[in-house]
Amino acid sequence: MTEHKIETPKERQNRHKAMEAAAVLEKIKHDFKEPPKAMEYFYDLFERVHCKHEALHGDKAKVGTMCIQVPSEIIHALDAVPLRLCNGFYTDDEIGSDLLPSKSCPLVKATVGQFASNNFSDKPDIVISPTTCDQKAKSGAIIENMGFEVYDMEFPRTKESHESREYWRRSVRKFTKDLSQNLNTKLSKKKLKDAIKKVGYAQHLYHKLNILRKNNNSPILGKDMFLVTNAFFFDKIDNWVEAVEALANECEQRVKDEISVASKRSPRIVYTGSPPIFPNLKIPLLIELSDAIIVADETCSSNRMFNDMVSVDEWFVNDMVDSIADRYLKGCTCPIFTKNEDRKRRILDLVRDYKADGVIYQAFAGCQVYEMEQKSVLEAMEKAGVPILYLETDYSPSHLGQLTTRIEAFVESLKNRKRRQ
Amino acid sequence: MHYFAGIDIGSTAIKIAIVDESKKLVGHKISASGSMFYKYAKQALGDMLNELSIDANDLVYTVATGYGRKLFKEADENISEITANAMGALAAADGKCDIRTIINIGGQDSKAISLDSEGHVVNFAMNDRCAAGTGKFLDVVAMNLEIEVDELGEYHFKSKGTPLAINSTCAVFAESEIIGLLGNNNSVEDIVAGVHYSIAKRIIKLVKRVGIKEGIYFDGGPALNSGLVSAIENELGMRIFIPQFPQITTSLGAAILAHESHGYESKE
Repeated sequence: MTEHKIETPKERQNRHKAMEAAAVLEKIKHDFKEPPKAMEYFYDLFERVHCKHEALHGDKAKVGTMCIQVPSEIIHALDAVPLRLCNGFYTDDEIGSDLLPSKSCPLVKATVGQFASNNFSDKPDIVISPTTCDQKAKSGAIIENMGFEVYDMEFPRTKESHESREYWRRSVRKFTKDLSQNLNTKLSKKKLKDAIKKVGYAQHLYHKLNILRKNNNSPILGKDMFLVTNAFFFDKIDNWVEAVEALANECEQRVKDEISVASKRSPRIVYTGSPPIFPNLKIPLLIELSDAIIVADETCSSNRMFNDMVSVDEWFVNDMVDSIADRYLKGCTCPIFTKNEDRKRRILDLVRDYKADGVIYQAFAGCQVYEMEQKSVLEAMEKAGVPILYLETDYSPSHLGQLTTRIEAFVESLKNRKRRQ
Repeated sequence: MHYFAGIDIGSTAIKIAIVDESKKLVGHKISASGSMFYKYAKQALGDMLNELSIDANDLVYTVATGYGRKLFKEADENISEITANAMGALAAADGKCDIRTIINIGGQDSKAISLDSEGHVVNFAMNDRCAAGTGKFLDVVAMNLEIEVDELGEYHFKSKGTPLAINSTCAVFAESEIIGLLGNNNSVEDIVAGVHYSIAKRIIKLVKRVGIKEGIYFDGGPALNSGLVSAIENELGMRIFIPQFPQITTSLGAAILAHESHGYESKE
């Protein structure tokens, strides 16, 4: 008998995650028409971080965020690195499944699963948990019980009222003060202004790149865009900015040269719903492997992270903090809000501006708010004459057969519709 | 004479339909998918050409559809079973039914497809990864009750009492529910009727998602089960149309598409 080395749980977990990540990267890189050359940076980044588990941020203070609603401008201004911990790994989802009710959202299970295994290449020093959806809010306490430092950031569930705006502004002011104390760093006017400008410039670059997708000749596929926006979760912001500058320039040239990653007949899709987070890009990949192209999205892992900019009246610290707070509340189209007309409006705007032929709405099984809002979004699309496909999925790598059938049938019906028009 | 084939590689059975130049169905074949979709599909097509004495060179265009469509590399084209089902239904109804809604129950999934007045797919709904209300579910039930699947219809109409309620939406749990009902001395007939009504209710929920529109066409293997057909009709309060060969609608659709695609390509 030969002696086998028995892997530690961490080794096994990292091996599984590397396998998951490598399989998806392989698909992204090789199963499609030639991507822009500047995408190499991102392919390489994901390989380093998710296959080789390389740490990017060394000794810098790291602030983990459980949701898009934590203002990254403030974290940057306090010389710390924001790390968005919303997780897309099935390996971690399985670990989290042992700790949470079986019908929980896979994203929440995967996020909790990663904490449970305490397996981070860049480990957060403190975790900010906004009280946005129920499952995330409750996970904060579970993670705290595992021995992590967790800060609850209170977030309102309505956004139209004056009270909610004031409540959230107070919450952001308190967060700014508490984080500054926690990190033992003073917030200065200059640093906050610089941070707003820096994040604003990243948003500007995203918009520059995104607008190019309005062209009939599409310079970039949705699966690559999701990778670019996902990288913003954890990359060094300066490196990200540099890489996206290059990518936007290259895509601009591609549009001029009439290079397109999709055929003229490929239906154009707006993607909405539960966020695709690497490596769980299975729905975007299935869509684009079915000869359709994602031209825009309305998700918190992509468009919603960049869409609305901070607008400041007076460059004083208090005014800046309030302006930051407003950006995160007013622009948000998350289904956790009591009413959510903004979301329907935004989807319809995207359909019109990006000349989309249809909408694909994904909800994670267990993500109640996206599941509940499905009906009203479907009705709104039907009323506007926009075809929409609703899919319920989770992180498991099986189930692809039925999903493929639905997506292909939807794409075929869009093609028929296009031909008839 | 040129021929065109549609191959529907499903989870349970491989269905092949061949049409001639006038889109007339010249033959069809149904065989088990087993564990080797590709091998069995190829074999079945070969056998069929032999039976019909069609020279392989005269088969000019093949379209694959169904769960295993991507595996059949010899196909000139492949298409999702939803589009193929709609095309096949229009051909199979042959003007006898103005189809607006298709109900399909297959081996591992069920679908509702809504068509516009010209027969184009406008909307569809599929059950989620679960065998409840599918052909597989009926297999399990028949096995538990020690009867054959094709006897289910007969038993249904012999039911004397009210059909029993089967509440479980999961095939595995439903199995234990059925064992429970047997334990309480319920008759096989009443259980069978209960199973049919529970499937009918599930499928109607699916149909409601796309909107119930009169002109309902029902296909897939379970459409041969008259008890199930009657349960669906009673639950809907509407007559439904069953084609002559309900199992091959989708492959027929693929064969007709093969005919059209070939015509289209030759013209080009």
